[in-house]
Amino acid sequence: MGITRRQFLKRSAVTAGALLGPSLFEHPFVRRALADTIGDRYLVVLYLQGGNDGLNTVIPVSGALRPAYDAARTTGKGGLNITPSQLGATLLGNDPGTGTPLALHPGLTGFKQLWATGELAVIQGCGYPNYSLSHDESKVIWQTGNPLGVGSLNGTGWLGRHLAANYGATDIPGVTIDYTVAPEYRETATSVLAVPRLADFGFPYDDYSVDDVAAKRQAFADLCASASAGANATDVYIGNSGTAALTSSESYPALHDLYRSQRGAFNDAYAALDTGTARRLREVAKVVYGVSQGAPNVAARFFQLLNDGYDTHSDQGAAETDGQHYLLHREVGDAVKLFRDDLVDMGVWSKVAILVWSEFSRRIPQNDNGTDHGSQGPMFVIGGAVAGGLYGNHPNIADTALDDEGNTVYTQDANPFRSTDFRDVYGTMLKNWVNVPAATILSSLLLLDGGDPASYWTVANFDLGFL
Amino acid sequence: MGDENTVLTAAEARHLLRRTGFGAAADDVDRIVSGGETRGETADRLVGMKPKVIRPNGKDPYLAHNKWIRSLVKTRTPLNSKLALFWHDHFATAVSKVGDVGLMADQIKLFHKMATGNFKDFVKAVNRNAAMMEFLDTVRNFKDEPNENYARELQELFTLGVNDLAGNPNYVQDDVVQIARAFTGWYYDRHGDAALDPDSHDFMADFPERGPKVIYQQTGGFGAAGRSFTVNGEGAGEIDAVIDIIFQHTDTDGKKTVARRIAHRLLEFYAHPDPATSVVDEVVAASGFDTSWELAPLIRAILVHDDFYTTMVPAPFGATSQKSVKWPVDYVVTTLRLLDLRLRGRDQSLQGGNYSSVYNHLTNMGQVLLDPPSVFGWDWETGWISTATLLARYTFARDATAARGHGSTSFRPDRLIDLSLSDPGDIVDAVTDLLGVTDQLTAAERDTLIGYATDGGANPTLNLGDETVRNTKLNGLFALVLQSPAYQLH
Repeated sequence: MGITRRQFLKRSAVTAGALLGPSLFEHPFVRRALADTIGDRYLVVLYLQGGNDGLNTVIPVSGALRPAYDAARTTGKGGLNITPSQLGATLLGNDPGTGTPLALHPGLTGFKQLWATGELAVIQGCGYPNYSLSHDESKVIWQTGNPLGVGSLNGTGWLGRHLAANYGATDIPGVTIDYTVAPEYRETATSVLAVPRLADFGFPYDDYSVDDVAAKRQAFADLCASASAGANATDVYIGNSGTAALTSSESYPALHDLYRSQRGAFNDAYAALDTGTARRLREVAKVVYGVSQGAPNVAARFFQLLNDGYDTHSDQGAAETDGQHYLLHREVGDAVKLFRDDLVDMGVWSKVAILVWSEFSRRIPQNDNGTDHGSQGPMFVIGGAVAGGLYGNHPNIADTALDDEGNTVYTQDANPFRSTDFRDVYGTMLKNWVNVPAATILSSLLLLDGGDPASYWTVANFDLGFL
Repeated sequence: MGDENTVLTAAEARHLLRRTGFGAAADDVDRIVSGGETRGETADRLVGMKPKVIRPNGKDPYLAHNKWIRSLVKTRTPLNSKLALFWHDHFATAVSKVGDVGLMADQIKLFHKMATGNFKDFVKAVNRNAAMMEFLDTVRNFKDEPNENYARELQELFTLGVNDLAGNPNYVQDDVVQIARAFTGWYYDRHGDAALDPDSHDFMADFPERGPKVIYQQTGGFGAAGRSFTVNGEGAGEIDAVIDIIFQHTDTDGKKTVARRIAHRLLEFYAHPDPATSVVDEVVAASGFDTSWELAPLIRAILVHDDFYTTMVPAPFGATSQKSVKWPVDYVVTTLRLLDLRLRGRDQSLQGGNYSSVYNHLTNMGQVLLDPPSVFGWDWETGWISTATLLARYTFARDATAARGHGSTSFRPDRLIDLSLSDPGDIVDAVTDLLGVTDQLTAAERDTLIGYATDGGANPTLNLGDETVRNTKLNGLFALVLQSPAYQLH
């Protein structure tokens, strides 16, 4: 099932142009008529890379699911069991399906604070049919929004398809805080910036002759424009990316200076957290602040960043504050909470939604002292306009309900354990945050599966309720 | 259309040298063209060069990386050197997990040694390679706590692939589980040599519930019985038996799965990102790779095939032209070789611009040798390209062409270009010829470069004898071409 990574990559160069083609969208009036835009809002996608252990992220505290939890996650040396008493500070509500009281991992106190203010939506049991245990294959599935490998969607990201249909080649609607464009934004029709650090993003001119810079800039811009005007998708992509690198090199570094000079206290607060996620969210905050202040030639509304390290096959740790999983959760929870406070202070928090995902959850029974690859897990949506709460159902973790691998089973049957297809979460974001009509989503962004309605995604629900 | 007896044109010779090595130096092109060499003759010469097997060791990964880059810049056997990079991507192993630089150096040595050798022997050697055993947890795979990591990637990445060319799965989860049993109990000693600890090995008698050691009951063309990897008994021989079975695995078209997949990947590497299945089958048939597993004839078959040469179409490129993005290491090494530019010192730094080390340049471009991002290696083609990685390439181009006044490590365009040239068109052509992109530029792009050189026609001739003119416009032309979209491709 699915497509291999190499197929994804190899098709990314050739299929994207054919799929969305310049033909339909290149005309500005056509594009405007189709404008399904995010408006004055922002979407931040945060990827927990490596497969986050969902069972030790949203944890049954007591009741129906707890005995199965205690059976799967042991106590003692290497045990990953988190006891009810360790969960007292991070309680959520009751699982909608079973009524089981649930709590967040003790490292996620940052998220608990967002829960308390009604800004955290926990969407349980997110997955897709015929799950893959390959990091790479599953990651591609989530990033393309295409579990069954439908050819017309291959090679482009689920958000990239939206950007390609609604923005022009010289627009820069999205920013990835990294060296490479996040695959969920990948497409070849617009420019998504990849910027690890805004401050370092100036264009490298030779300082031998300052007088020659203008001529060099013009020639470079013309060479990129020429490639962009060509018929070849690879040329177009490189030309567009070159143009975007040039123009953004003239506008983005200033955002760093603006932020540092006007938001010193928050700048220092991120630095004090001293984590990669805090540093990357600070780069997002710099751009959002720039946009909100009307900085010239900066109009990004879509962002992506990731936190790596969730592939906890060994030494995962339960609730110990120096455990791997604890540190990962604390890094994300604390950084997101600070980002929220920063954006509240900027006055834009009600315009921001953060979508948190991972390529899979982990095996329900633990191994010696960690967890192997699994199936469905929780997603989070966070923001000032988000309706906080628990959505979807906790997967059925009873030993008898697990498949041969020890993983929970994807089901669309109406029962207390009905899974949430991750495409319904994407669709809810697209429809209720990015303002894309459901019909458009289902015709070009996310395609329904065929097959047995109990085992496949055959009916969309883009009103899960959190937005 | 041609075959192995087709005489190479200059453009074809440049293409062949670019794709198999690091840029096409004028001398090498002349040798092929003036000698009237055929596709087959040149391919034989390039594939047949006795490689200099390097072992890039160092006190830390940084120094080992720089040592490897240095050897690439100086290599006299470019096909072998470049192919070792391909295997480093294929059998991607990261020093950040392995920890021991010496073990990594051993593995890189293996890649150089086996680059054009027997692929089945190559995979068997990788099974026992200490860095690999560390990276994919073979050393943490015990009878009581099996670890599936190597068994999965051996199939998914190194040999079969998840799916065959028709899109059908090549193996199922139980095959991963069973193959993991074969690898239980392996470790390496202080010399890095692999050995089996029988006490940690999974013997069938101890785990009857795990069933017989049989694989591919659902795929591979072995029928419902599958194939046992204990026909020669249990123990140390199992991991070789597994490889022998994997190499007999056939796909849903009845073709050898490994042969097709490796041929496909090498075509992607040498020719273009989307080789047709018919071409895959032709190069396998022409080389006998599906029975001999010898890589040298397979590579030769690719380098004499029409499909390889049709990717060389001149500008302007059409919608169906197949383009290939230079790997960052290729970008750096090719540029240094064509500019006859040397890196300096322990940091192997460029003496211009930011004076950055080659390690920093390549970090920003997205390819640090010895440290691929994951077992999946690097993302090729447009996966190499982003605003950030392009800016890193532009910075390298700037630093390279701004390296003035540092003696032997300076950029010396006066040694590369005839300074008596004064016509801007001639000067632009000389620069694009040297950098190998003349065929890749449209007439309008050439005019853009001429417009830059003449400041929009204000200076209809250039006096390259004038140091200021030379330092400004000649260095500037080199920088612009190195930064141009065309030069990112090859």
